[in-house]
Amino acid sequence: MSQVFHEIEKKIISVLKTESKLTPEKLEKLTQLSPDQIRRGIEWLKLKELAIVNESKNTNFSLGKNGLESFQKGLPERRLLDLIKKNSMTISDLQKELGSVFGPAMGLAKRNDWISSNGNEISLKNYPSSLAGEKTLKQIGEGTISESILEKNDLASLLKRPDFLVENIVKTKEISLSKNAQTLDVTSSDSGAIDVEAKVPEVFVARTHPLKDTIDEIREIFVTLGFTEILGNMTQPSFWNFDALFTPQDHPARELQDTFYLDGISAKKIGTPEQIRKVSESHKKNWRYYWDINEARKMVLRTHTTCVTIKHLAENKPDEARVFSLGRVFRNEKVSYKHLVEFNQIEGVVVGKDASLRNLMGIQREFYKRIGITKIKFWPTFFPYTEPSLQTMVYNERLGKWIELFGMGIFRPEVTKPLGITKPVLAWGGGIERIAMLKYGLDDVREFYNNDLKWLRGATKCQ
Amino acid sequence: MPVIALSYSRLQKLIGKVSKKQISDSLPFLGLDIESEDKNLVRVEYSPNRPDYSTDIGIALGLQGLLGIKTGALKLKIKKSNEYSINVKSGVSKIRPYVTGIVAKNGKINEEILEQLIQMQEDLHMGIGRKRKKSSIGIHDLDKISFPLTYTTTNRNAKFIPLKSTKESSVSHILENTDVGRDYGYILGNSAQVPMIIDSNGDTVSFPPIINAAITTITTKTKNLFVEVTGINKEDAEDMLSVVVTILQTAGFTLESVKISGAKNSSPKLEPKKISVNPTLINQMLGLNLSTSKIISSLKKSRLDASIKGKNIICTIPAYRFDIFGPMDLVEETALGYGIQNLKPTLSSSQTLGQINPISIQLKSLSQIMIGLGYLEALNSSLSSKRVLYEMTNRNATKIISVLDSKSQEHTILRDSILPGLLENLSRNIHESYPQKLFETGTIFLEDNPINEKTSFAAVSAHPDANFTEIKSILQAALQTGFSLEIKTKTSTHETFEKGRTASILVNGKTIGVMGEINSKSIENYKIRVPVVGFEIHLSGLIFD
Repeated sequence: MSQVFHEIEKKIISVLKTESKLTPEKLEKLTQLSPDQIRRGIEWLKLKELAIVNESKNTNFSLGKNGLESFQKGLPERRLLDLIKKNSMTISDLQKELGSVFGPAMGLAKRNDWISSNGNEISLKNYPSSLAGEKTLKQIGEGTISESILEKNDLASLLKRPDFLVENIVKTKEISLSKNAQTLDVTSSDSGAIDVEAKVPEVFVARTHPLKDTIDEIREIFVTLGFTEILGNMTQPSFWNFDALFTPQDHPARELQDTFYLDGISAKKIGTPEQIRKVSESHKKNWRYYWDINEARKMVLRTHTTCVTIKHLAENKPDEARVFSLGRVFRNEKVSYKHLVEFNQIEGVVVGKDASLRNLMGIQREFYKRIGITKIKFWPTFFPYTEPSLQTMVYNERLGKWIELFGMGIFRPEVTKPLGITKPVLAWGGGIERIAMLKYGLDDVREFYNNDLKWLRGATKCQ
Repeated sequence: MPVIALSYSRLQKLIGKVSKKQISDSLPFLGLDIESEDKNLVRVEYSPNRPDYSTDIGIALGLQGLLGIKTGALKLKIKKSNEYSINVKSGVSKIRPYVTGIVAKNGKINEEILEQLIQMQEDLHMGIGRKRKKSSIGIHDLDKISFPLTYTTTNRNAKFIPLKSTKESSVSHILENTDVGRDYGYILGNSAQVPMIIDSNGDTVSFPPIINAAITTITTKTKNLFVEVTGINKEDAEDMLSVVVTILQTAGFTLESVKISGAKNSSPKLEPKKISVNPTLINQMLGLNLSTSKIISSLKKSRLDASIKGKNIICTIPAYRFDIFGPMDLVEETALGYGIQNLKPTLSSSQTLGQINPISIQLKSLSQIMIGLGYLEALNSSLSSKRVLYEMTNRNATKIISVLDSKSQEHTILRDSILPGLLENLSRNIHESYPQKLFETGTIFLEDNPINEKTSFAAVSAHPDANFTEIKSILQAALQTGFSLEIKTKTSTHETFEKGRTASILVNGKTIGVMGEINSKSIENYKIRVPVVGFEIHLSGLIFD
């Protein structure tokens, strides 16, 4: 295995080869690297199992305020004994000399029977040659000393005194080379090379939403197939969403449990008087019921984008046209892995002399080809507003089954005639999320609207 | 769409010489979607416009045609009889004015047929019967009934023993204490009188559209049937009857007529209708060039009759095919009989020029700019909730546009702003790495005779150093690069933004939105742990209408 080492690593390894068990501080001095470089270098070598780091804990002591005073002037009791070593002194003189330490010094001296008192006069009885703590004070001095060198009992006596000692727990690291590293020849590596195999931090691209990518792709395919995009409102009077599309007012699809009605909102203007009259006549004649204009006024969230194209056709009555509408549609459903209350649909129409079912099938086949689906077939189906009606079935390799995609058909004369559309109209359309699910290999349609950053940042853009 | 369970072995018996594979391959080309398949059982979904497919008998009729085993229209053979009649009293005319019926004799009723009949009755009630409101059926044991019958009204104290019971109950008791009574009682409204079919002994036969009498219950021992259909208009009642009659004749019963009279009622005719269609229309619409005889044989495969008359084809359509309105329906019937699998897709030679809508183009440019600025595109629903839109962002809920009876708590109100959704997105991603920068363009909804739909644009940036300056720079860059628009900001207040760090955004002196640092209350509500800044502006009225 050939390894590439960073300059930092090389320096550390070279130093450790001559002297093992070094602290980072010592390494710093010996390698002339900065603390940060040393820290990083050790981490890299540790990951490569080339360096061993032993961590140990050490307690150090230095002197506190009182300790330092005692180091300079002697312990309070020593100072007391020295004062009366030659001549006895009065209590008040001693108080003046010793100040705040007079009390504790007197107490200790009495208890140890070093002094005797005669009224106000204090005189020496015994003079101890050494006092507990004096040795430690001398050892520490103005420096910092490891606990291991100090005498336990002597240290303990100072620890009892307030502000004599400052305890300092130090964690130390000692770095040495592992066995593997000891035989490494770091000098032979190419100079300036870096570890190109190492992991790097992750960064995330800003991007369009994956579903938007699919929408844009589908939009562009239909534009290249000669279709022009039209836009329309998501909130629609029932008239354009249902009545104009030959869906009777008592049709189950119009019930609250399938369609979102806007609470208390009706449209005043829903169409021209002629459109309203002719649509209502068609309903009365073919479906045999009392057609209620107030039902047609109720505002709904569109259940398909067909309402946008039919309105466009009714307003423009073209002899030849290819238009489509793309956008959100709504169904009052329980949200699940396969159902959303709101999803995207594309719906288009073809008006023209040679408009035929086979041409409609041809447009579908061409579209699927362009999104990479070649195994397709057509089955008959039913829509209230088209006759004949077909649906496309496409084969999904991953799921190993046929999946229903776009529906299509020719608008019924019961739809077109009342709106003054005289030419046959081919219509097709369907949900976009389903196609996007196939594309991104999703089994749960909710993923598109979760805005889960893990997924958004991670989904492959070009599929 | 309704679903029916079919048994292959029974279908084979009904159709004639046919393999299981032929059946399963043909079902989709009849318009029946296979839901699931398990050895001998197959569950298919059928379209509500074909109520004859609510039984395997009806489906077998269709398959016989498609497979070429038996083609052409089924002719009803109804023996004219004077034995059976229903006299209608005028009292029903304001409640449920029409009744019609048929007698079916000498059939064999086994468990399988009984099941099919019950299934058919249920589906007819739900579909073309519009939950029994428009029309409903009662199927009875003929031999338990003494003719003539009277379709009349009684008061709500009238008593009889209802189906599946052994005790007498009053009408009001049935309406209040049984499932069917509670489900369908509303159809009768508050009227003191209710419809009732009573036999010559004065015994109740049926209380339409709620329940039959127990005495006429059909069992596997029943040989002869009486079927009645009641409804709010004559044609719909007869349409429903025509389905039942077709199925019963195919199941081997012999039919006898029931005479109906009184209060604008009359005996059902159940006669086929004739529609003329031009072969050119069929060929044009399908993109084919079929000979007239091929068209006729295709129509026959769809179980219709057809013959040439001059340049046109006259099609004879049995009564149960009331889904056929006119020539375009015959185009479809031809296509089905011809076989959809035989229609080959073609590409039209006609040329039209496609174009993306200018608004879509502008929105796409804007999103490219935002991506260049490091923002990720989010997508949220237009239907949101009070919690996300108002409670979490401390906004006042004044003019709410809500939908009725939503099945989802999270989707009850149309959004009037995009920003709350983006903040909700941030709160769901607090465990993902920062910075998190999101934007969204989409529709918002404002109440305005009836609704004003505007395109709105919002962005948020969340990270430890997020601040006002950053977000102002972003919007400034986006509008400058995208549309050469200069923005000005003016101190402002907003429930979602921090006081003193909120600005209204102006372009050419007109306020187009708001920006600032999201206030701590909102951030706490969303449980976000880093500062968040954001803006929202209306694009409608700014860069397009």
